[in-house]
Amino acid sequence: MFDRRLLKNFDYQLLIIVLVICSYGLLVISSATRGDGAESFVYLQKQAISIGIGLFAILVIISIDYLDFYRLSWYLYAFNFVCLGLVLFIGREGGGSYRWIDLKVIDFQPSEMAKIIIIITLARLLVEQKERLANPVQLIPLFLHVLIPMILIFLQPDLGTALVFAAIFLGMLYMAGVPVKNLLIVICSGIAAFPLLWFRLMDYQKMRLIVFFNPDIDPLDQGYQLTQSMIAIGSGGLTGKGLFAGTQARLQFLPEHHTDFIFSVLGEELGFLGGVFLLFLYLLLIYRILKIASFSKDSFGSLICAGVATMLTFQILVNVGMTLSIMPVTGLPLPYMSYGGNSILMNMISIGFVLNVGMRRHKIQF
Amino acid sequence: MDKEMLRRTRIFIFVVILVFLLLVSRLAYLQIINYEYYWEKAEKNRLRILPITAPRGEIFDRQGRQLVTNRPGFTVSLVDLGSGYDDETIVRLAELLEMEEEEIQKKIDLQYYRRYLPVRLKMDVDFETVSKIAEHRLDLPGVVIEVQPIRYYVLNDFAAHVLGYLGEGTVAGTVIDFWNEAGYVYREGDLVGQAGLEMVWEPFLKGEDGGLQVEVNSTGQAIREFERVEPKPGANLFLTLDASLQIVVEEALHEAVRLQWEDNNFYAGEAGAVVIDPRNGKILAMASIPSYNPNTFSEDYTTLLQSSGRPLVNKTIEEHYPVGSVFKMVTGIAGLEEGVITSTERLYCGGRVTRFGATKSCFRGTAHGSLNIVQAIAKSCNIFFYELGLRVGIDDLANYAREFGFGQPTGLKDIFGEKGGIVASRKYKEQSFNEPWYPAETMDASIGQSFHSITLLQLANYVSMIANGGIHYRPYLVDRVVDSDGNVLMVAEPEVLHKMEVMDLNWEIIREGMKQVTMPGGTASRLANLPVKAAGKTGSAQVAGRGSDIPSHGFFVGYAPADNPEIALVVFIKYGGTGGASAVPVAEKILESYFADETAQESEESSLAIEKDLE
Repeated sequence: MFDRRLLKNFDYQLLIIVLVICSYGLLVISSATRGDGAESFVYLQKQAISIGIGLFAILVIISIDYLDFYRLSWYLYAFNFVCLGLVLFIGREGGGSYRWIDLKVIDFQPSEMAKIIIIITLARLLVEQKERLANPVQLIPLFLHVLIPMILIFLQPDLGTALVFAAIFLGMLYMAGVPVKNLLIVICSGIAAFPLLWFRLMDYQKMRLIVFFNPDIDPLDQGYQLTQSMIAIGSGGLTGKGLFAGTQARLQFLPEHHTDFIFSVLGEELGFLGGVFLLFLYLLLIYRILKIASFSKDSFGSLICAGVATMLTFQILVNVGMTLSIMPVTGLPLPYMSYGGNSILMNMISIGFVLNVGMRRHKIQF
Repeated sequence: MDKEMLRRTRIFIFVVILVFLLLVSRLAYLQIINYEYYWEKAEKNRLRILPITAPRGEIFDRQGRQLVTNRPGFTVSLVDLGSGYDDETIVRLAELLEMEEEEIQKKIDLQYYRRYLPVRLKMDVDFETVSKIAEHRLDLPGVVIEVQPIRYYVLNDFAAHVLGYLGEGTVAGTVIDFWNEAGYVYREGDLVGQAGLEMVWEPFLKGEDGGLQVEVNSTGQAIREFERVEPKPGANLFLTLDASLQIVVEEALHEAVRLQWEDNNFYAGEAGAVVIDPRNGKILAMASIPSYNPNTFSEDYTTLLQSSGRPLVNKTIEEHYPVGSVFKMVTGIAGLEEGVITSTERLYCGGRVTRFGATKSCFRGTAHGSLNIVQAIAKSCNIFFYELGLRVGIDDLANYAREFGFGQPTGLKDIFGEKGGIVASRKYKEQSFNEPWYPAETMDASIGQSFHSITLLQLANYVSMIANGGIHYRPYLVDRVVDSDGNVLMVAEPEVLHKMEVMDLNWEIIREGMKQVTMPGGTASRLANLPVKAAGKTGSAQVAGRGSDIPSHGFFVGYAPADNPEIALVVFIKYGGTGGASAVPVAEKILESYFADETAQESEESSLAIEKDLE
């Protein structure tokens, strides 16, 4: 199936880092869900299966040359548009928003898939328009390219994921060589558009933002989550209370303890050292992704890697920042750690693309 | 990768490192710098104290008879077993406990964030209901029956004003410092003494609540039990009060009122009496009727507020009255001490006298003829004391009244509310009415009328002072306090507040007069047949400012045995007419009972002694 020369350039280190983080995640999920009785095992099992499927997806992705995706780009974009549109009509409701399409076996979350598709399609656009990026007016089609899926996701509503697209957009434009001045224009117009956005926000989303700036307003609801998360993490101290010994998670003071607030459980039970270890793994991961970006034989590959790196960095910053109360509550999962099949699968596929780029760094001579 | 892209990748990595440094420093801030703060918060999150109420101290009479205790009462509570409260159970319980479902739901909601605590639905549930619940316990998940102490007043409405009652509520302002000093912290809903001994002795009676430390989850369900601290029961009070005497006194007062009603005197209804030991100030009985039942106080409260006779008022200390002739010993002592009369000097009573333009008469216009001071007391001659009072003068008369403790509280600390009353004087009249004193008023003042207003406890102290030769002991109710381990925390010692300097001979003259009161021909001659010789004085106080058809207040003050006084007493029948007719029969019953008991006890003791000798 593979050319031996391809396997020679396979970045085992990157895969190992991902698998270590995934295992770390399994460990913390098992602790976080311990109080949930028999369900705990179900969570672990499901997460492990998701990781397994993810690994298989990596295998599938790396067996196809990423340049084939360059050609498929517009089909992918169209497929993505249909899925994101569909979810607004036939989506399954959960927590006040429509994010999932019920595929009987699994709940499919198009917004997770949309991230990697936008990374690929935007990379192609950037490569095509490379010569014209210095002109700010030329950024408009790129902007629209990202804005369309962003709006569809925002309508679900899922503000957090929508913001990931803004981050990916800026990160990839920067790496593509767009002048910093033009990027600033984009950022400023985004900020200027915020008041318009505000009126479109659901009440709970507004509340999240208000509470973020003043947690005491609502100590029993949104503020409660932030406060309990800080208590969990702070009370962990240097070395933590020990795995399975965290009281905040076990006694249900922490909401969403195996999904969005998994880092709080980690902080409580494994302490500062456990938290810093995870952040170090993430840093290594992103470093390796950017390393592969720099080796890539073409800028399409580099930009895919840059997009994935931006996406991961942003999600880590927002998720961990949320548990530490330096970011608002947005409901973004922590990559490879949070429980959730869609997030695991899509993050694995993203890594698949990075590995793909890395494997095909040299032009192969037949 | 081109050069520009490589440069940008480096900057990108640099930004990523900055992001991670930001997260790490925030992590260090929370976990290393503020570790202790958050650790404490996490502990506070998960640990709760379930209070265990300390059994309240009991109250005993002087002979160790139980007056106030705690009986077990059933409290029906609902516990969250982990899956919330069952709707069906609430419906069934509402029916069994005869409560509204909404009422139960409200109680549950009030404790929403304290689910580790059982929700107390109903206290003191009767046995029948409890057995029904026990039968259906399988259909009533989460329902628990707790045994909680309920305060029980053994004597019901006897001695209620002394003992007081408990109630839920804020700590009364007057005693808050007292309680805080004793180191007690009160929670909302705690039962607190609201009157009488229960109020003043609250810090001793309350004890120290225990607690059970439990670990709770975020919904407040108790997950695990930790340390248990047993409550320390409150200390027990041993009183100077004699329960059997108290019952005799109250029943006699009720009888006296009943007799007034039989005579169609429906003004009567309130009455009071105090029995005190003149050798030390121990209060043996303190009665105020109508009374109330502290066991059912909260249910009866509205009725009590509206009922005639103001049952909540302790008539022995909280009110003062014109006292009439029982005051005459003050005038007598003043006259003898000031040397304006001797024991042998006789004054003439023609039944009527006109002085300073005012014509005043003896009781029912009786002419007593010529009499000395002893006879004047025995016959309660007004004319004699008018003359004597004029000789003494209002200023000295007021001074002697104050010497006897009138015009200020006697110093009872064991219960609250003692009033000081009024001594008629120039100063009082000037201050209250802005008018000068008229000599004719001195005549009224010298027979206990005019502005004099005196509490029953003051009268009891006054007659004690006559009996013991002028010593004002602080009256007291609590003899000793013993904690639950049997350690004596406090023993009351008799406390002399004031010693009145009067020649022994003069005391003897007055006492002789009081002895003759109870002899044939005296105003309380029916006391002549008692097993011991009693001394005393009757009084019939006219009520100022009311129509003349209103009966006067009936009084009797006295002590016995006359030669070696053991008890002093005052009896008061409001609007009871003459003291001789209304108050003296009550005094007779009190003295009869006291000395019957005492002779019985003595004979028992002596027979025990004989038995010992025989052995």
